[in-house]
Amino acid sequence: MLLLYVLIAEWLFFYFAGTTTNRRGIVVGFGTLDRQFDILRHSCEIGLLALALTPVIITAGIDLSVASLLGLCAILFGKFWHDAGMPIPLAAALALGCGALGGALNAALITTLRLPPLIVTLGTYSLFRGLAEAITRGSATYTNFPESFLFLGQERWLGLPTQAWLFFAVAAGVWVLVHRMTFGRSFRAIGFAPDGARYAGLPVNRRVALAYILAGLIAALAAIIYTARLGQAKADAGMGYELFAITAVVLGGTSIFGGTGSVHGTLLGVAAIAVLKNGLASLPVVMRMNAAEEMAGLLTGALLLLALTAGVLPRLWAQRRPPPAAPAIASSTPPSPA
Amino acid sequence: MPVAPVLQLRQLAKSFGGARALRGVDFDLQAGEVHALLGENGAGKSTLIKIVTGAHQPDGGTIAVGGEPVADLTPAAAQALGIACVYQQPALFPDLSVAENIALRLERGGAFRTVGWRARRECAQDLLRRIGAAISPEAEVHSLSMPEQQLVEIACALGSGARIVIMDEPTASLTHQEQHLLFGVVRDLRKNGVGVIYISHRLEEIFALADRVTVLRDGESVGTHPVAAMDEAGLIRLMVGREVAQIYPPSEAAPGAVVLALRGVGCTASGVRDVTLDVRAGEIVGLAGLVGAGRTELARVLFGLTPADTGEILLHGQRVTLRSPQEAVALGIAYVPEDRRRHGVVLEMPIAHNMTMAVHRRLFRGAWLRFGAERSLALDYIRDLAVKCTGPDAPGGSLSGGNQQKVSLARWLATKPKVLILDEPTQGVDVGAKSEIHKIVRRLAKEGLAVLLISSDLPEVIGMSDRIGVMRGGTITAMLPGTADPHTVMAAALGQEETAG
Repeated sequence: MLLLYVLIAEWLFFYFAGTTTNRRGIVVGFGTLDRQFDILRHSCEIGLLALALTPVIITAGIDLSVASLLGLCAILFGKFWHDAGMPIPLAAALALGCGALGGALNAALITTLRLPPLIVTLGTYSLFRGLAEAITRGSATYTNFPESFLFLGQERWLGLPTQAWLFFAVAAGVWVLVHRMTFGRSFRAIGFAPDGARYAGLPVNRRVALAYILAGLIAALAAIIYTARLGQAKADAGMGYELFAITAVVLGGTSIFGGTGSVHGTLLGVAAIAVLKNGLASLPVVMRMNAAEEMAGLLTGALLLLALTAGVLPRLWAQRRPPPAAPAIASSTPPSPA
Repeated sequence: MPVAPVLQLRQLAKSFGGARALRGVDFDLQAGEVHALLGENGAGKSTLIKIVTGAHQPDGGTIAVGGEPVADLTPAAAQALGIACVYQQPALFPDLSVAENIALRLERGGAFRTVGWRARRECAQDLLRRIGAAISPEAEVHSLSMPEQQLVEIACALGSGARIVIMDEPTASLTHQEQHLLFGVVRDLRKNGVGVIYISHRLEEIFALADRVTVLRDGESVGTHPVAAMDEAGLIRLMVGREVAQIYPPSEAAPGAVVLALRGVGCTASGVRDVTLDVRAGEIVGLAGLVGAGRTELARVLFGLTPADTGEILLHGQRVTLRSPQEAVALGIAYVPEDRRRHGVVLEMPIAHNMTMAVHRRLFRGAWLRFGAERSLALDYIRDLAVKCTGPDAPGGSLSGGNQQKVSLARWLATKPKVLILDEPTQGVDVGAKSEIHKIVRRLAKEGLAVLLISSDLPEVIGMSDRIGVMRGGTITAMLPGTADPHTVMAAALGQEETAG
């Protein structure tokens, strides 16, 4: 809830501070509808990764490999279309399958070998990106996608950037999964108490696997949208996105220790980061310094730490408070040691 | 004017969550006295000790040391006041020598100072000699036996000039001879004017050593008496409080057909071997045995957590395999686990979510949550089992132990099981909730459920069971009727043919 106010304040600030009129009398900057759509367009990929990570983090897991998998799937998609000569829909379907497979690899290592998710996905983080670079030999990219495909990433449909529709559809799907189905209930139980979930007869391994496979699938979808937006499939696609996505999830109130969290919180987290990043770029002072990226990184970090602190403080204060009523205990201090 | 007691506790109270561990304990300790503290498991002894040593803060009541009231007792303050505790499991640094361990407790001073190795050694030597322990100050602690480590702890207490020494089951792991030595040390402490709080389950030690005894029951002190005026039977009566037969509802079941049959069941991984057992509908079969006898391990086999690798399990005469909890649940086996805080209830989740956790498939068709159905199921069980809570949305962790147990039970009753395995269902549960749970279990048996009841509480196993299987070394060594007397059951658990003392 706090985050919603932060988001509104952020938006209003940039609306007034980041909107200007240029010499020809045209309104430019943050306050324009075009810019708002732009923000939405640019947040779809990180937003999808954040959606992918939400169930995973609710199970007290983590997936560092999502952005690397995005890169790998982008390359595979380009390869299927360009080198194998497949039609776009088939190439996309295969890329989605590969994403699910990548997630399944994570899931298999985590559930059957009982390895910690942080280490497993740190491994696949390098593995997937390395594979993408190996396939392209480090430099090759796939371009010249047909207009019909680029429509997905660069045009509008029914008034909104086309990919936003996909993003909202996935958000709705993940929301229903987490908040309205037994899967979400199981994710939470596993996140709070993995042993407790097992003793309750929940299929813990299957549920954990589902979270990681779903994450892989969504990462692949993000890869396709990324490719359509840039018109280019390259191995370094989405480099570093996983950290923004994790930040968005945690900012949205999902506990890194598992159990607590919500999909709508994640969406607010994504929006807060996106608005901050784009809003800064439209501030005259920041533009003069040419330091939008740096400022965005700095403020995102500060925002995250603030949000985490704000989440913990009430509990700390509650603990600090002296026990409710202990009038019976005499108040003299113990004699000091000799 | 009488001398002020060295330690005086008045109406000490302490709660954990909803569970009241202490509800008004009076206790006083004179200098130069050995005062025994006696009570069943969960009576509040360890909580009392933790308050006196400053590890826990009381919710109410007063503490006075040497006549001076004390507030905000911290471990450091307790030590400064001359309160020392010798734990059952000594808390020493295993890789340091005896002398170093003693020095760590006794020496004061900053981090930057020269170490007087010789003085350190001599101090340790002197203390060890005073308690008559033949331990070299140079020895590393990990090379010492458990009783030797306890003696080092006592040396520390002695060296710190403690006025109050607490001994928590100090003889639990001692041989007869070491015990004798320890008794000598305790008597020496007494002679030197130290007040000793002596906790032990062994009544004969209390008669041999203590001057007075205070009995705790359900967090209250039920009386302080001179030991000379008491006998064993009297002490037991004080501890238990009621006659056994009074507490347990009578069996009304007429056992029906065999529901669960085990034929030579074993599991190498968990040490269960060759278990043969029948449980009938409407029957409560108790599983008695010492800790580590394989009772929980057997339950885990039956619930598919550690699947059996030998023998066969028959359910209603049909051979079944139980390779996972899901399979067990699907076949109508329910397991209310021993460690309810880790396994029985998800503490952070609402009661309603906890109660429906094992019936996702049945209650939530197509995996869609139905909040209305969930709530009404939870309300039904809250009413049915008389769960004391603020409502179905209260988190499991907000409940007292007994009510958590009821939530755990409700979760499994909701699966409409055929076989119900209860593992220490009343451990750490207060007396009122305990008898409620007993009544519920009786009622379930009457309704035709086959119940397997694991309990370390001997009166409970005997009072509740129609038959008692005694386990030892991973297998059932004796089947006794429910009317067996405690001595017979205990003797079988210990592996003795006749009652051995």
